[in-house]
Amino acid sequence: MKRFSGILSLLLVLWLGLAIAQTPAGTSIQNQASATYIDSANQPRSTTSNLVVTVVQQVYSFTITPNSTHSGSPATEANLTAPGQIRTALPGAPVYLAYTVSNTGNGSDAILLSPAQGIADNFDLTGVSIVRDINCNGQPDSGEPTVTSVTLAQGASACIVVQGTVPASATNGQIANINLAGTSQGNSSVTDNDNWSRVIANTAATLTLTKSASPTSSVTPGQNITYTLSGSNTGGSAAGAVTSVVTLGTARNGILITDVIPSGLTYVANSLSGSAGAGTVTLIYSTNGGTSWTSTQPSSGVNAVGMLIEGSGNFFPQGASYTLSFQAQVPAGIASGTSYSNFATLKFDANSNGNANDPGETVTSNTTNNTVGAAYSVLVGPYQNPLGSASGTYTAGGYTVARSGDTQSITSAYSGSAVIFRHTLRNTGNTTDSFNLSYLGQPAGWSCQLLADDLSTPISGAVGPVAAGADYSFALQCTISASYTTTSAVSLTLKATSTGDASKADTTADSVSQVVSGYSVDVAHNTDGTAGGEPVNPANNTRPGYNPPVNPGGSAQFPFEVKNTGVNPDTYNLTATLPASWTAAFYPDTNCDGNMDTPQPASVSSTGLITANQIRCFIAVVNVPTSATPVDVTPGTSDNVQFTATSTTLGSVSDTILGAVDVNAVRTFSFTPNRSGTVTSPGTIVYTHTLSNTGNQPATVSIPAYTSTYGWTYQYSTDGGTTWTSSVSGLSLPIGATANLQVRVIVPAGEPINRSEAATLTATATYASGTASASVIDTTTIVGGDLRLSKSAVSYVGSTATVRSGTAAQAFPGDEIVYTVVAENIGTGNLTKVVVSDPLPAYTTFVSVSATTTIPGGPVLYSTNGTTWSTTAPTNLPAGSVIYVGVDTNGDTNITAADTMPPSGKITLTLRVQVQ
Amino acid sequence: MTIGVLVLGVLASGLALAADAVKLTLTSVRVVQENKNGQVSETFQPALSVRPGDLVEWRLEAENTTERPLRQVVLVIPIPKETRYLEGSALALERGNTRLLPLFSYDGGQTYGLPPLKRKVKVNENGKELEKEVEVKPEEYTHARWVLPELAPKEKVLLKLRTIVR
Repeated sequence: MKRFSGILSLLLVLWLGLAIAQTPAGTSIQNQASATYIDSANQPRSTTSNLVVTVVQQVYSFTITPNSTHSGSPATEANLTAPGQIRTALPGAPVYLAYTVSNTGNGSDAILLSPAQGIADNFDLTGVSIVRDINCNGQPDSGEPTVTSVTLAQGASACIVVQGTVPASATNGQIANINLAGTSQGNSSVTDNDNWSRVIANTAATLTLTKSASPTSSVTPGQNITYTLSGSNTGGSAAGAVTSVVTLGTARNGILITDVIPSGLTYVANSLSGSAGAGTVTLIYSTNGGTSWTSTQPSSGVNAVGMLIEGSGNFFPQGASYTLSFQAQVPAGIASGTSYSNFATLKFDANSNGNANDPGETVTSNTTNNTVGAAYSVLVGPYQNPLGSASGTYTAGGYTVARSGDTQSITSAYSGSAVIFRHTLRNTGNTTDSFNLSYLGQPAGWSCQLLADDLSTPISGAVGPVAAGADYSFALQCTISASYTTTSAVSLTLKATSTGDASKADTTADSVSQVVSGYSVDVAHNTDGTAGGEPVNPANNTRPGYNPPVNPGGSAQFPFEVKNTGVNPDTYNLTATLPASWTAAFYPDTNCDGNMDTPQPASVSSTGLITANQIRCFIAVVNVPTSATPVDVTPGTSDNVQFTATSTTLGSVSDTILGAVDVNAVRTFSFTPNRSGTVTSPGTIVYTHTLSNTGNQPATVSIPAYTSTYGWTYQYSTDGGTTWTSSVSGLSLPIGATANLQVRVIVPAGEPINRSEAATLTATATYASGTASASVIDTTTIVGGDLRLSKSAVSYVGSTATVRSGTAAQAFPGDEIVYTVVAENIGTGNLTKVVVSDPLPAYTTFVSVSATTTIPGGPVLYSTNGTTWSTTAPTNLPAGSVIYVGVDTNGDTNITAADTMPPSGKITLTLRVQVQ
Repeated sequence: MTIGVLVLGVLASGLALAADAVKLTLTSVRVVQENKNGQVSETFQPALSVRPGDLVEWRLEAENTTERPLRQVVLVIPIPKETRYLEGSALALERGNTRLLPLFSYDGGQTYGLPPLKRKVKVNENGKELEKEVEVKPEEYTHARWVLPELAPKEKVLLKLRTIVR
């Protein structure tokens, strides 16, 4: 605590600066180390250490000033070389000794105060007490309490006045020493005992000088401090002038009060004023710290002020008072914790010798202390322009951002993309600070976040610490939803708020003038076998001149190309709108040549991801059902198919092309099967046929009357034999329908045996688009006997029971065909040695044979050569063979003339074969 | 695309469960210095509690726990804000014939450099805004780091720095 008083104020500044930075007791210091590395798999990794926690203990420390200086240690009255302050007073008058107590520890503490009277002096003060000098004016005032201790928070200080009375018995020049000793309550070993002051009893003139500052302690940057110096002659005589106390052009005589303005403060022009109860007052100024003075206020650079009370002899009577005040400004932007201490000096003559060199003639006031509190302030603005006076442009996120004043704007943005506004803030406060960043104004569907200046690291929580005066850059990134568009500007407000003082904040504006859709698609017919080169939309939505004709069951191809005409990558679903029961499939056309790739790729239902301006080609294959009726459409005018690509991101984005598919008219018609039969003369035979419309239009069938060469009668029935007509007309046959047609041949008596007629019967189907005809040949042979043979056939699907064709008109390899041959005695007498034979048809394989009979008495015998007979049917039959059956009515296991077939007797032969 | 991202996410979280290849152990001790006849001796005491002005030494031991070398190992000791870095106390790491100098950050670990660190400050002088480069004092440092090109299998390194409790 031993310092040269000349550097006291400087040291005080430093000491207080450190005191404020002390870590408060109870704070836990936490620390965790971290590492990043690249592992053996070439992957970047990170890890952290354990958390180390250390608690800060309280340190007790305080100071009492002013300090006395001593020639040894510890400080005692015996080794006192200079008291910290000297006061003079009239015997019997009160005296005030001003002290400042500061808590320089890191927690709250009570400082116990006790005055100690000296013993190596002339007298003791009486009635000594300690007063808490709340307004720090150096003297007790009404309402200020008497104390024995002061409790101070960390970094706080208090003004103290030790008051006492000079005993009336004291004589002029006698002295009293008194010390204000302090002890920390928290740690009694922490003391401050070098605070000796001296009181000199004085019957001569005594001028007091007290100094006060307003505000008393904490100040803010830019604030004015009003200093007031005042005092009076409390001595026993009039005070006198000092000869040549100051030179103002010429040497002047009088009482001089001077005050050197603390370094760093700026004198406020015209703020100096003063008055005195006697003499002539001259306000004086110095620009060199009091070395020389002028009565004319300099325009700048004033660093000391004062007042000359001019007079001669002992002109300043007992009780006369004076006052002097001025203002000094704390600089803007000064660091928090900076401290300004100030005292004033007064010179007068008390013993009429014309100088101020005698004890008590030079008075030093109490010292005022003002500390700059933390002032928080922030400005945020466009990138690299925190003060908001920006211009020019920069590029971020693919957009050009224009800066103007405190606003940044993007002219036009696309939906589905992200806009980035970069910003810079400045800590315009006087201490290190951190800042909370926030934003508002983003429309629904926008997703915004704050990023560090690398434009990738998200910011969470407050940013900083940012040193006073330093800048911090960051960015606001907003992703615009796919569906958001607007023609009016979107305004975002970005705000930076001090964490030190939440009332200190600044905003800056970002705006996007319009948002247009970033999604668009164009589907075009691929007419040129290459990607692109098609007419512009919507002309490319139709393809005049292209209307592929297809048969029912066939397909038509439409090559087309899908172009992403937006700015964002997108995938499109492919759909088709078609006539009922038509289908379509889409195939990638990798080389865009408009032809189906080989091998044919798998069909797709979407395009896959297409980047902006990229084209992909596809082929739509339209499948026309077998039941399709004829269509004749004009491409571009009456299109009947549509293909649409729809964005999977934004369903409202799509494009459709139109196409035309013609369906051919098909006129196919069948009339089957050919029939043959035998008939007696006279006699009648009926053949059954099938009419089928296999075209894709309804048909009307007609069959003209058949004129027999032999005068036989041919009749037709379409109702199952109920009515018979000589010709057929107007028989309606819908698409795919079949109709039964019976043909009756009536043979008159007297026809020769073996006369045969093959009648070609032609049916004509009339369609809307033309006609088709088909014929059957019915062959009728006159037989003499009374045995009638008839043969029919049915084909089956494979070896199943499913009928392929009731007339065996159609059979595929592997299908089975059953032939049924019926032999009937239609005469009136017995027939003998009746053998029914049937050849195995070419290109067929024998499956089985069986025979039944209505003839009583005899078993059916089988033969493969007509001479040897067996009761069991053969199980195989070589190609080209013939199967024979007969009925053995006499039981000799042979078919001879002895075997008879009575009238109405029937033998039925059933032969099953398989088509090779 | 979505599927790919998902698969990566699963992989990453799966690996995160695996033991860290670098084991970090941070300890703190209080350094008590005594001056006997001009000879300064130091004793180390546990730093469970400290007082303003105390000297605290932070020791970071990093060990490669795997059987394979690790590359680009960056070891960071933060300087707690309640303390200030003691200039010159972070020592270079001697590895064979190379010396790895510590790098320092004053901006919370965003940037690192060799002392003296410089900071750009905008000042208003006579109405003109000027950008000045000022030196950053060691007491403003926020982080120290060492960048090891490689940490051999099972290798351990010990890093130290000292701070003074504010």
